[in-house]
Amino acid sequence: MSDLDRLDELLGAQEGDAGCDAGVPIMDEYVEIEVRGGDPAERFPGTAIHLRVCPGCRADHDGVLEAARLFGDLEPE
Amino acid sequence: MSALQYADPVSHRWVQRLHREHPQHDQTVAKLHDALRRAALHELYRRRGLLSGPEFEDVAQQCADDAVVSILGRIDEFRGLSRFTTWAYKFVVFEVSGKLARHAWQRNPPSTEELTFEQLPDQLASTPGEQAERREQLAELSRAIEHDLTPRQREVFVAIALNDVPIDVLSLQLRSNRNAVYKNLFDARRKLRASLSAAGHPVADEEVRS
Repeated sequence: MSDLDRLDELLGAQEGDAGCDAGVPIMDEYVEIEVRGGDPAERFPGTAIHLRVCPGCRADHDGVLEAARLFGDLEPE
Repeated sequence: MSALQYADPVSHRWVQRLHREHPQHDQTVAKLHDALRRAALHELYRRRGLLSGPEFEDVAQQCADDAVVSILGRIDEFRGLSRFTTWAYKFVVFEVSGKLARHAWQRNPPSTEELTFEQLPDQLASTPGEQAERREQLAELSRAIEHDLTPRQREVFVAIALNDVPIDVLSLQLRSNRNAVYKNLFDARRKLRASLSAAGHPVADEEVRS
């Protein structure tokens, strides 16, 4: 990474970033779209931007996505 | 119209069986708890490095316990926009996230140095051989960090952007929450970009817009 890239990353602030709270209620729906092979950025563009720049929310998203893929097909009986 | 209008048949059965009056309620809660405990364990391993192995089982159990309570308390909020299991795993992943952050904060809270601006880190600091324009840009950035940010914006920017303090650990230290701290960080970054731009040293393709 060049110094300019590093500075750009350090000061990265993108228009349309939905923030952390916006992703909480829709995280399951967002992940489900991905599990089905769709692009959640079409339905939730602000959260897609946010997940690129917020490591905390990205870690949560990745955890839900992995759990849904690995353990999602479970019946209650 | 039912709140479960979009739910698939399996998700429907999960919700029905988790209602207290259902004859299989207790067995279904036990099955859900077991699934959440396994998911929590997997998530703890995925984030390994924040906690040591022997503690995983206890923490996974606590996360599953707390997630089950939340899920049963909010079962009527499930609308079927995802599979029920995906909705349920969201709760347990958030529990893991929160407990790991608290654990990290208790064992290794941010130091005063990590919250206080002294100078830009070595990776960014200009060197004698660098071009004058670059040195001026970094000098302007240092000035803007010191003078253009509010105390809270400076503290958050210095901790997260310059010293890699995890946002959830900083949130606990500041008795705040992730969203509020992220807003401080976002505003600080936008303000610093604007300061550099106003001083004639814009960053890259200038993503900042008001």
